[in-house]
Amino acid sequence: MNAVTTETYEQFTTEPDAAAVKMRTKNLDFFYGKVQALHSVSLPIINKGVTALIGPSGCGKSTLLRTMNRIYGLYQGQRADGEIILDGENILDRKVDVATLRSRVGMVFQKPTPFPMSIYDNVAFGVRLYEGLSREEMDQRVEESLRAAALWDEVKDKLKNSGLGLSGGQQQRLCVARGIAVKPEVLLLDEPASALDPRSTAMLEQTIVALKKDYTIVIVTHNLQQATRVSDNTGFMFLGRLIEFGPTVDLFASPRAVRTGDYIGGRFG
Amino acid sequence: MASFKRARRTAANGAFVVFSFVTTAIALAVLAVILWTLVAKGFGGLNLHVFTMSTPAAGSEGGLLNAIVGSAIMCSIAMVIAALVGILAGTWLAEYGRDHWYAETVRFVNDILLSAPSILVGLFVSQTLVVPFHGFSALAGSVALALVAVPVITRTTEDVLKLQPSALREAGVALGTPLWTTIREVLWKSAGTGMLTGGLLAFARISGETAPLLFTANGNQFFSLSLTKSMASLPVVIFNDGLSAYDDLVKLAWTGSLIVAAAVLGTNILARIVTRERKPK
Repeated sequence: MNAVTTETYEQFTTEPDAAAVKMRTKNLDFFYGKVQALHSVSLPIINKGVTALIGPSGCGKSTLLRTMNRIYGLYQGQRADGEIILDGENILDRKVDVATLRSRVGMVFQKPTPFPMSIYDNVAFGVRLYEGLSREEMDQRVEESLRAAALWDEVKDKLKNSGLGLSGGQQQRLCVARGIAVKPEVLLLDEPASALDPRSTAMLEQTIVALKKDYTIVIVTHNLQQATRVSDNTGFMFLGRLIEFGPTVDLFASPRAVRTGDYIGGRFG
Repeated sequence: MASFKRARRTAANGAFVVFSFVTTAIALAVLAVILWTLVAKGFGGLNLHVFTMSTPAAGSEGGLLNAIVGSAIMCSIAMVIAALVGILAGTWLAEYGRDHWYAETVRFVNDILLSAPSILVGLFVSQTLVVPFHGFSALAGSVALALVAVPVITRTTEDVLKLQPSALREAGVALGTPLWTTIREVLWKSAGTGMLTGGLLAFARISGETAPLLFTANGNQFFSLSLTKSMASLPVVIFNDGLSAYDDLVKLAWTGSLIVAAAVLGTNILARIVTRERKPK
């Protein structure tokens, strides 16, 4: 790989219309103990659209995603400095209740993580905590969520079966259903298709595209074609910095930073 | 040359397999002999009196009712205390304490307790719960047994929780569920089989313990349900009667041993059935 030069860090951001921004990181630094993993990242996230984060392994895309629901807070020694503004409020503020924040900002992980309970209970799990729904309302919510995640037809006759008995692709869509059942505003997807076969990946991508009319989605992906297929905006990250951000079509058709061009052209990474 | 090397490797592999097979056979043979002795000497003494009458004086007829009930009561109380303390402590170590110096200290002390001679536990409880109250009690016996069981449960709980993927923990928390709720509803369920195994190990361990009971619950010739009085138990009866000069008492001790072994085996099998049913299809 080329030596790190000044050119490496030149940054280009196409600033979207301020009214369309749901969430925004401002000069965000992140530390794993003493190691700095993010350097002053300022990323706008469009309301009701898909924002993709791409970049080589270890560039900080997952780290960035994990700041947006403060899930890093589970681990001692991990720290974020700067601001993340969600609807005008800085969610890194100490006063913010993380449980409420996480009910607004959902997350789906790289590997499917079904809970050891029935398919129905998997979806209802998060809802029960926040809403006192009647039986019918809950049944309806579960069906709605499973339909939105394109899983309903496959599981409607076995809702009482364990979620662990589903295939990998079905498990991942179950996790999406579980994530949207609590009606979050933002959905974070951390390489959601990396453990799936091509057919399941295609179904998951259709789901993501269908969901964006109701949800703000941020997706981390290693798969550049996937980013072009599902996202409206793309951010390219490199060595903990946001190198380029803009509409997906522009970024892939005419990248402005040399690094971006090299990466999407397959010259490194 | 190459074929010679290959032949040597094949021979070495064969020798290793044979060696493993023989050592396994030795271990199994010892177990079989123990079980056989147990059945041969204990089975003959099994009759209705064993379950309906209390321990006899030498020469008269009697059974093990007081010891069976005593063991059941004290083991149950001990397991309730130990499960409560052990599961919470193990969960704290795995999920909250982690590398904190206090957690490291607790872990270290727990490991010492795990290998501490049980007679020490008996002496300790005797000094704290028997001497001040001027008398043996079933409660003191239960506490002593609990102290033996706690480190086993703490250790296994921590170990199986640490085996759960961190993504599962994060997935629960990412739904807006507080960590404590995630632990209860997701992680404990996911680790349930392992935790149950830990509980069974602890139960198997304390159901045969004699030393912690000698100075605490002691023994009781008569049937008693009082927690504040001395109480009979199978291990103590085995200990006392097994060394007796009277043949009928020795026979009763063997029968008691058989019952203890059967109870441990029975709970293990039961737990296997229960956990198998909970596994997904």
